[in-house]
Amino acid sequence: MHDRRVSAVAIACACASLSVAVVARADETCLSPYTSNLIKGQEDFVHVWTLGVEGLGDGSDKLVTIDANPHSNTYGKVIHSVSVGGRGEAHHMGFTDDRKYLWAGGLDDSKIYVFDVGTTPAKPKLVRTITDLTEKTGYVGPHTFYALPGRLVIGNLSNARDNGGVTGLAVYNNKGTFVAKYDMPTSKVGGVQGDGYGYDIAINPAKNVMLTSSFAGRQNYMRAMGEVVKDPEAMKHFGSTMVLWNLKTMQPTQVFNVPGAPLEIRWALAPGQNWAVSATALTSKIWLVKQDAGGQWQAKDVATIGDPAKIPLPVDISISADAKGLWVNTFMDGTTHYFDLTDPEHPKETYHLHTGAQVNMVSQSWDGKRVYITSSLLSLWDKGPPDNEQFLRAFNWDGHALTPSFAVDFTKEKLGRPHHMKFTAKAAAQALRVTTGDPQG
Amino acid sequence: MSRWHVAFLAACAGLTTAHAAVDPGVAGAPRTEFVAPAAGTYQLQRIQSTPDALLLDSSGKAQRLARLLHGKITLLTFFYTYCADPLGCPFVRVTLSDLRARILQQASLAAQVRFVTVSLDPGSDTPSQLSAYAAQIGVDPRFEWRFLTARSVGTLLPILDDFGQDVSVETDATGHPTRTLHHMLKVFLIDPHGTVREIYSLAFLQPDVMFNDLQTLAMESARAPPMLAQGAQPP
Repeated sequence: MHDRRVSAVAIACACASLSVAVVARADETCLSPYTSNLIKGQEDFVHVWTLGVEGLGDGSDKLVTIDANPHSNTYGKVIHSVSVGGRGEAHHMGFTDDRKYLWAGGLDDSKIYVFDVGTTPAKPKLVRTITDLTEKTGYVGPHTFYALPGRLVIGNLSNARDNGGVTGLAVYNNKGTFVAKYDMPTSKVGGVQGDGYGYDIAINPAKNVMLTSSFAGRQNYMRAMGEVVKDPEAMKHFGSTMVLWNLKTMQPTQVFNVPGAPLEIRWALAPGQNWAVSATALTSKIWLVKQDAGGQWQAKDVATIGDPAKIPLPVDISISADAKGLWVNTFMDGTTHYFDLTDPEHPKETYHLHTGAQVNMVSQSWDGKRVYITSSLLSLWDKGPPDNEQFLRAFNWDGHALTPSFAVDFTKEKLGRPHHMKFTAKAAAQALRVTTGDPQG
Repeated sequence: MSRWHVAFLAACAGLTTAHAAVDPGVAGAPRTEFVAPAAGTYQLQRIQSTPDALLLDSSGKAQRLARLLHGKITLLTFFYTYCADPLGCPFVRVTLSDLRARILQQASLAAQVRFVTVSLDPGSDTPSQLSAYAAQIGVDPRFEWRFLTARSVGTLLPILDDFGQDVSVETDATGHPTRTLHHMLKVFLIDPHGTVREIYSLAFLQPDVMFNDLQTLAMESARAPPMLAQGAQPP
């Protein structure tokens, strides 16, 4: 019995060099501040949650893995793909706090797929499908997956009652069990009327605050964009608020009027910073949410993106790790913009590039040197031929210009419409494990 | 947390000065730039249940983990006695020590709260090692603070898996294990029924919030109907 040993380890090592995984504070720069194992160097893989297209490949939504390491023999190539066996409007995804699992949602079928990306990042496995979101909450359209310790907050877009925009937040533990729900405010909070709509979530733990934004219900996002914009009634049903929540109590404390569907929210989480930004899709503005000198939170528009009269449709944004720069994609004109955020009260566009016929998501590496762009917005909102390009394009950024590094044609590869991206890296550590020498307790 | 503790930890972590060049990706001591919500004004989520296992305490006596996760409000964390990361186990140790001092100022609360620390290294952290570690912290007869270890990694792993406590061994360029272990710092707040009600990772280790959370659960227990209270008995 005594000759049997615990192997790995290294756990028996007597050195004192244990360390706690670093805490991510800001795609890589846009993750929950509770996510561990921040990739500060070269990411090895980009995982792309991809909408299936009927008649293209297997037609299913899928998680596509691309080799992003320039030193790899398969650099820039699709190395793995996991289909989920149906089309449910694949959209966004998010890591659990330990970064071992990636939760990905379907806006149409409200299913949530859990992929193991921690065991073998090059080959994610579908390990669980959560189907009780609507049963437990009445919400549909799981959009944002935001990690808290041991659980995720899920920001939804709609509800099962009328498919409108009134919705809420759902909390599930990392095992996939429902924990709690919180309706978006539909009454006045701080004197401002809540509209009940939801979209993104972003948390600042030092301030004990959570910000949420607002988009539209299923009746709009699952309808052709051309029809929606021509329907005055439908155009009334877009979110026009952001909500500040007390994170501990999960109670809304302030509603801000932010007209034109504020989408992604990014906190500047460097020490001493007390602000976040968002971009409005329909009014083409950058909004700043910031504490004033008296500690009161205020929201104001601080910059214009492109020519709002042409409705460029700002979509995803990505803030740099030091919060000094912001990438903004505008879908309609296929442009990627860079704003200098040194003075967040006065962002200035210093660079832009036409990166595709249609562009939606943008993600950058922690060091800001690599920028990834995908094309698809929603299956019924993407452009028709010949502008229905479906791609992931990777660029290098030297602070002055984007230089293409590689691209994947998702139509040619028979994959579908690429949407949200997340990075992983090969494990720099091995799991604690029992070997044949381990005594059984 | 005492001023000395803060100064010591900040110095260890090189955090004495926050400036524009600070890399926001570097783990730092948690900041609390708000007034913690008053105890009893909010509800803590019921996050997950807790597992059972047969462990050893610092006297070498076998203890069922489940019995130590019921009947009182418990703060549980995983640690190593020789962990030296200033923002790892030592940080939790200081945080919990200060919290204990604060709890002891309210005798009724002190009687309702216990700490449980479970070693992640059964090979090194024997009961006698735990006993020495507990002595370093300072045993206080007015407060229940348990130090536990497993007989083997095989006993420990299911507990870690159930709690969602990741641990990994750093490897070198050749893929061999090094002497560095990684684990995400977490402290679990568990109610008298054995349900996890909050999880504090590094960014969340805010003493005022933790204290108010303990009080919130104590107030909840005081309101609990008798039937529910029975459910708090150890299995």
